[in-house]
Amino acid sequence: MRNISLVFRRIVRPVSVALVLLLVVSSLQAQDAKEGETIFKANCSSCHKVFGKFLGPELAGVNERHDEAWLLKWIHNAPAMIASGDPAALELDAQYPAAAMTAFPQLQEGQIKSILAYIKSEEEKKAAGDAAGGATGSGNGAAAAASGDASNFMIIGLVAVIALAFVVILVLNRVIRTLERVIANSKDLIPEPELTEKEGKDYLGKLKKLAKNKKLVFFAVLMLVVFLGSAGWKTLWNVGVHEGYQPVQPIKFSHQLHAGVNQIECQYCHGGAFKSKNASIPSANVCMNCHKAITASDKYDGELSPEIAKIYRALDYNPETMEYGPNQRPIEWVRIHNLPDFAYFNHSQHVVVAGVECQTCHGPIETMAEVYQYSPLTMKWCVDCHQKTEVNHQGNAYYDQLIAAHEKLKKGEKVTAAMLGGLECGKCHY
Amino acid sequence: MESNKKYWKGLEELQQTPAFVEKSKGEFAEPIPVEDVLNEAGLSTRTPRRDFLKALGFGLGAVTLAACERTPVHKAVPYLIKPEEVTPGIPNFYASSFKGQSVLVRTREGRPILLEANPSAVGLNCGTDASAQASVLDLYDTSKLKGPKFKGSDISWDALDTNVVTALDAANAAGKQIRIVSSTLNSPSALAAIARFTEKYPTTRLIEVDAVSYSGIIKANQNSFGKSVVPHYRFDNADIIVSVAADFLGTWLSGEEHTQQYISNRDYKSLQKGKMSRHIQFEGGMSLTGTNADVRVAIKPSEEGPLLIALYNAITGSSLPGALSTNQKAQTALKLVVQELQQARGRAVVVSGSNEVAMQTLTNAINVALQSYGSTIDLDNPSYQYKGDDEAFTTFLAEANRGDIDVAFFLDSNPLYSYPDVTAVKDALGKIKFKLSFADREDETASELDAIAPNHNFLESWGDAHPRGGYYTIVQPTINPVYNTRQAEHSLLLWAGEKTDYYTFVKNYWEQQLLVGSSKTWKDVLQTGFEYKGEQPAATYSFDFASLGAVANAIALHSKALAKDVEVQLYQSIAIKDGKQGNNAYLHELPDPVSKVTWDNYAAINPKFAESLGLGENSLVEVAGENGYKVTLPVLMQPGQAMGTVSIAVGYGRTKVGKAGDNVGKNAYPFAKLANGTLQFNTTAKLAKASGTYELAQTQTHHTIEGRNVIRETTFTKYKENPGHNAGKWTDSHKTYDLWNKYEQPGHKWVMAIDLNACTGCGACIVACNIENNIPVVGRDEVRRRREMHWMRIDRYYAIEQSGTSYTKEDEIRNLDDMENVSVVHQPMMCQHCEHAPCETVCPVLATVHSSEGLNHMAYNRCFGTRYCANNCPYKVRRFNWFNYWNDSRFDNYLNNEFTQLVLNPDVVSRSRGVMEKCSMCIQRIQAGKLKAKMEKRPLKEGDITLACGSACSANAIIFGDANDPNSEVSKALKNERVYYVLEEINVQPGIGYMTKVRNTYEA
Repeated sequence: MRNISLVFRRIVRPVSVALVLLLVVSSLQAQDAKEGETIFKANCSSCHKVFGKFLGPELAGVNERHDEAWLLKWIHNAPAMIASGDPAALELDAQYPAAAMTAFPQLQEGQIKSILAYIKSEEEKKAAGDAAGGATGSGNGAAAAASGDASNFMIIGLVAVIALAFVVILVLNRVIRTLERVIANSKDLIPEPELTEKEGKDYLGKLKKLAKNKKLVFFAVLMLVVFLGSAGWKTLWNVGVHEGYQPVQPIKFSHQLHAGVNQIECQYCHGGAFKSKNASIPSANVCMNCHKAITASDKYDGELSPEIAKIYRALDYNPETMEYGPNQRPIEWVRIHNLPDFAYFNHSQHVVVAGVECQTCHGPIETMAEVYQYSPLTMKWCVDCHQKTEVNHQGNAYYDQLIAAHEKLKKGEKVTAAMLGGLECGKCHY
Repeated sequence: MESNKKYWKGLEELQQTPAFVEKSKGEFAEPIPVEDVLNEAGLSTRTPRRDFLKALGFGLGAVTLAACERTPVHKAVPYLIKPEEVTPGIPNFYASSFKGQSVLVRTREGRPILLEANPSAVGLNCGTDASAQASVLDLYDTSKLKGPKFKGSDISWDALDTNVVTALDAANAAGKQIRIVSSTLNSPSALAAIARFTEKYPTTRLIEVDAVSYSGIIKANQNSFGKSVVPHYRFDNADIIVSVAADFLGTWLSGEEHTQQYISNRDYKSLQKGKMSRHIQFEGGMSLTGTNADVRVAIKPSEEGPLLIALYNAITGSSLPGALSTNQKAQTALKLVVQELQQARGRAVVVSGSNEVAMQTLTNAINVALQSYGSTIDLDNPSYQYKGDDEAFTTFLAEANRGDIDVAFFLDSNPLYSYPDVTAVKDALGKIKFKLSFADREDETASELDAIAPNHNFLESWGDAHPRGGYYTIVQPTINPVYNTRQAEHSLLLWAGEKTDYYTFVKNYWEQQLLVGSSKTWKDVLQTGFEYKGEQPAATYSFDFASLGAVANAIALHSKALAKDVEVQLYQSIAIKDGKQGNNAYLHELPDPVSKVTWDNYAAINPKFAESLGLGENSLVEVAGENGYKVTLPVLMQPGQAMGTVSIAVGYGRTKVGKAGDNVGKNAYPFAKLANGTLQFNTTAKLAKASGTYELAQTQTHHTIEGRNVIRETTFTKYKENPGHNAGKWTDSHKTYDLWNKYEQPGHKWVMAIDLNACTGCGACIVACNIENNIPVVGRDEVRRRREMHWMRIDRYYAIEQSGTSYTKEDEIRNLDDMENVSVVHQPMMCQHCEHAPCETVCPVLATVHSSEGLNHMAYNRCFGTRYCANNCPYKVRRFNWFNYWNDSRFDNYLNNEFTQLVLNPDVVSRSRGVMEKCSMCIQRIQAGKLKAKMEKRPLKEGDITLACGSACSANAIIFGDANDPNSEVSKALKNERVYYVLEEINVQPGIGYMTKVRNTYEA
């Protein structure tokens, strides 16, 4: 034991020093990286990604591939460098004939350094993430859903701790027994076989003894009943609740890429949510507004992305003639959010009138590579929100007409959706 | 209450028959045998325990198995290329027209789901009647043809075209005649297309013939004024209206338009101005118009002519022979009428429903004498809704028999069903080499012809209509053709070698003809839906009174011919009309406004007359016509029917119309006869009691109000003295207590005002409600079991008056000589949205609760069907779903198929079995209207929300709005002195106010 603690102390000291140093350094870098991120998203992200090729080359490792001075010059005015015949610049330009690097004369040297710092920090983040990822395994959607949930995390953590403790105890027992055997061996004493047999019989006897202990049996049965009861209760309450439902879709469309990375407004594709009861899945011609040009072929060795190809196939689109053909087949998406027929829900009421964010119900949609059902969509969930949410009456002349309600609003009292009849059956069931 | 008038819904109620008393005991006619199961014998037997365990075991197993099923995967399939104007979830409206009535078609995701009157065509011809409302269901009719047919087998359009063109060319080469037989065709573009076709095939002639014809009027106007037209009537200019058997508010010419005109002098706004027209109706059968008349006198069809002669003589002081000498009541009424007519020259109109030329000529003479032309009758902007010429069809048959005709096309015409002499038509058709029908189904005629080139439904077509002088409407498609059909006009153009499609043809026609000199473009017209060119000024017409001697003789002859046996009056029912929409389940289930019979036609006979023939309720009678045609029909005891007459509706008894309409009722067209060149719908027959009984599916005594005083009626004279006369305020008479706490209504309070004086009882609102709210059709058998699902009904109450006395007691009825003098009140009845709703307090699961906006909500998913609420509803307006009508093969004819279900309104859930339902006051429309205002950040304004029933009502009898808004029309209407609340005395505080019925009767 003493040995172990010594070894431990020996290791801990340099590690903690390193950690402190790392913290100090990274906090210094963090400021630059943050600024860099903003600049990167504003200027670079339309052609570059940190990881993976986009229209331009992958930026991870750029600090290693080129020296800083060269990079400063290149980002500041790439066309000039190409014109001047810089060999590295020429090589790059030849690699990406489709899109030439744009000049950014407006960027200060410090700003460019910030971008580079941001790229470096992203690399570090990824490295750290990879290490962690190796331990936990590739997380699926459900796990991702759970990760945001603090209480779930706690429970999983506790279970893990208990499991770990159990393993530790087992290992220790084993060690003790081995040690005992070693000691016995060293004394040239062979353990008697009868003894182990006796021990086995004793276990059985102990069990029998325990079974006769009425208190224990009662306790065990009680525990079993409580466990089964609570499990059953939970299961029954969740019949028909499909929180976390994440079906496989015909096209691997990523909201993370479109809404997250590319920051496309929700309204661009789901305009219906702002006008109608249906948020509506965009028609394929909306996809084609961008995907006529964006083929992501750089990711697939110059080939058309297989997912975008599915849109083309649905529309019978010929990229060469740029025309839609006659053999069109609709895309059959799998509906994720299924309200029962007897519940009426109107997106525009919530999005336009109440000003509810999409994320309130749909969760962090901009981070979902594959969409899953974030909210339970139970009536309790609806009612809870209607009870809490204040009516968004500011600047809406409609509410001025509701005289009694208006009086309250003038007095500055809280008027929730429920107070204007938001909990009445007929508001959703007709 | 001053009045002690007795109102009753049906004879069984009046006579309190044992069956009626038994059935009206409970809310549901067939009780559930709970007592039988729970009585001692039921419990003490050995089987219940075993059965219980079996049932329990099975139930558990079944539920477990059902629960094992995986949640079904729902697919969401978006458009590939979304049309710009479509937003899923938001309706689009397209201006179109149905039979010349300008309408807006509401479509959702490319499928039409409802027709509404075009609000910008107010004052022209924009109303929707029951048949217009129901027509949207015809689009989704599965009995329609899926493609063209040739000699009974399917064929491609190309092959059909080759065959047709060969036949046409052969006829052309041989110099033989080509005929297009059509019902009235007033579409200018279609006529132009036929003209184009005639250019290629010069022997072509268009024969227009209507199943129910008005050629008597056309010929009379030709004789009198040299104009062969049906005039445009202006009932809004008439202070006194005398109708001799013309159902002008219902089926005569243009019922909806007439209703709007008529009501403008009788509704609450007019009454507030102290103005009300007087309407006297002389008729045999009880018509919708008769029920609304101020004075209705029952006369036999044979007395119509003599009555007109008497009227003419009295007005002009002449002495034509053959004036009415029988029927004392009619003569008395006539004397009073004449006095008024003479004072109201230029503000009066006399109409006759007869198709006899002589009668119409005499009517013209009377109207000339009354100076009606130019004010109440407009000959210069005539109606083109019915142009059919009966003689032209007779000529066609003669030509065919001679073998002159080689090719005949039938467009919207079905003579093998609707022509009285079917054998004559069959023989004639046999001599025509090539016959083709444009029918959308293999109907009675089409199935006998060589080829069928199925036409589009009007909701799939391009076209136009010219319903009256100066007024043109557009027909535009609102859906892609559902089946492999082709528009008839397009086919004609193709066969004539015209390359342009019909859309371009219509567009060119409008741009080159109708829109010349107008600032409007084709696109403008598509948006407004119509083009109104203004009215032609009235010309002066001279009338040759000297010729009337011959006319009077003709009338006398005609009348004499009718005055034998039992006089038969053939009429069109409000729902089915001439039978063209014979496969429409909504129309079949619409209770007739007068008889409240669904799913059948019948022989309507006066109860006293029936008694004398030995006929009773549920009897069958054999009617044998003059030409030997016999049918056996169920008897309907119709109070108000003239003694010695029988009324039978045409349009029923179709055999090849489709699943829903085949063999519903009996065909009455063969009773009609051709005389003096026009089709006569008044004839004679012999009646004989037939064996057996038949129960009509009649809703009149369903949901009875148990003799409580729910109708308030007064006369115009009394109204002028005291506008609140007889409105019967109960609140003053006793103290009321509230069982419930007052609750806040911070926003709106939705209420309705119903003007009993405006409601004609036509039933358009019922069909509109059915379509808007996905109300199932239940069929004849279920209606007999009192299980119709209509959320709103129109209660029709009879009251008997004889020589100024109201008969109030049951036993007095026996002393009546006849049952001819009944007056009728129509009362639309739907959920009253009571503030103290008795249904709400008895629901054990709170499935029906009150809202802060004054509505009585019904949460179907919460309801588990105890039916306590229906039992406790004093208005009897709740309906119970006995079946899953949407998914039950027993209801296969109506909505139990995927295709017909496309007519459903996606904003309203379709209810499941075991659930109670009722009028929601179109809550989906209220919510949508509110949302629109919220999104536009503005206060809600009048007109944002219309109800299906209210917008379908041409008479504006149903006024809906926010009672918390003092400026809304409904708030103003409810301040009216005439307003009363039904069963106000029980203090349920209903949200729907009714206005007293005011009758402009002659005061003694």
